[in-house]
Amino acid sequence: MRDATVTLVVLLLAASPESARADGELSVRGAYYKERSTRVAQPMLDARFDVGDDGELRAHLLVDSISSASVAAGAAGTPFDEKRYEAGASYLHRIETLEVGGGARASSEPDYKSAMANLRGSIELGQRNTVLAVNLAGGRDTLNNEGAQSEIVDPIEGKLFTALGSLSLRQILSPVLVGEATYDLAYLDGFQENPYRSVSAGGMLEPERVPDTRLRHALLGGLRAFIPPTRTTLAGSYRFYVDDWGVIGHTPELRVIQEIVPDFDAHIRYRLHHQSAADFYQTTYPSADPAVEPYLTDDVKLSELTTHTVGVKLDVQARLLGIQGQLGEARAEALFEYINQSTYYGNAVAAQIAVTFPFRY
Amino acid sequence: MLLALAAATLAPACARVKPYQREHLARRTMVGDRQPGESRFDQHARGSREGADGGTGEAGGGCGCN
Repeated sequence: MRDATVTLVVLLLAASPESARADGELSVRGAYYKERSTRVAQPMLDARFDVGDDGELRAHLLVDSISSASVAAGAAGTPFDEKRYEAGASYLHRIETLEVGGGARASSEPDYKSAMANLRGSIELGQRNTVLAVNLAGGRDTLNNEGAQSEIVDPIEGKLFTALGSLSLRQILSPVLVGEATYDLAYLDGFQENPYRSVSAGGMLEPERVPDTRLRHALLGGLRAFIPPTRTTLAGSYRFYVDDWGVIGHTPELRVIQEIVPDFDAHIRYRLHHQSAADFYQTTYPSADPAVEPYLTDDVKLSELTTHTVGVKLDVQARLLGIQGQLGEARAEALFEYINQSTYYGNAVAAQIAVTFPFRY
Repeated sequence: MLLALAAATLAPACARVKPYQREHLARRTMVGDRQPGESRFDQHARGSREGADGGTGEAGGGCGCN
């Protein structure tokens, strides 16, 4: 991870306007999430490089620093800290109206390793009024319960395979209106329990048991419109989700982006998420016998829940401050969200600050 | 399949917008108002707090925060 960071920084420092051949962009972002018993701080770097006239390379690095007193994490109220490191890269190549490429990402934390690779392609149709895109991804995760804070806990190891197929459509509907739709189909096969979670069953605490496979469907439709007289962009979307564990979710979202002055936008957003419980979810089970209760989970993510999120984002470009040239294309953004959750996690706040610099190399 | 069918059906019916009519469509807010890092963090946070996932065209998961 450190080597990769150094390589990325060296590449960027080597960038010089005198030898300008291609453009790129570097974003430095800090994200923060806090609720009653969990805090997450996530610094990250995102870079984009033009490769020749038709290629684009993207890469990212991030660190997830989690502090939690979550009972589900096996700590029974004892705070713990954990770090997760993630790196990823992707490449896209344009051939006329086609774009093809692929990428990979890997992440590592003490009790969880994950690797994912994907291939994607898109085609522009109808004088570039329509874009159809496909993304195929596959991943393999390995996990264990080495973070358990009790020596009497039996060791657990598991593997999880994930496959994703995604199809999306973007359609220009008028000079100020765009429609988009995405369908994602994900299939998970393997260990999907939380290895630290225990469930009250038959008067005892039993390890969580959920099915080995899960088939998830998500269909999202959205419209995005620009209103020239007020310089306002409206973006609305709705996602329908269903899986074979019995969870059905509805997620509408509305975003209003108002240009205050040129190069300075204010975003206001609202998102509602409501889902039903998984068929086998219960807070307690009368029996632990697998013949009676094949699955045991009190995971609140699988309960009926409602989440309201309101957010504000400010996005400013350096040009606004009178900075000219390439540096004038740099921009900064600050985002704050308040999240009302119906679960025992309680309400949460999230904040992000980012600065994006263009560069030539 | 449904999306491909929808595209094939709807695309010819939609008004063809010429390149010179796309001034507003080229605005950053009309292409996507979230950078990859923002979307990635949102997906990660929601994936660890909600049982529904997807609709982004990207694979979620990849962490042990369930």
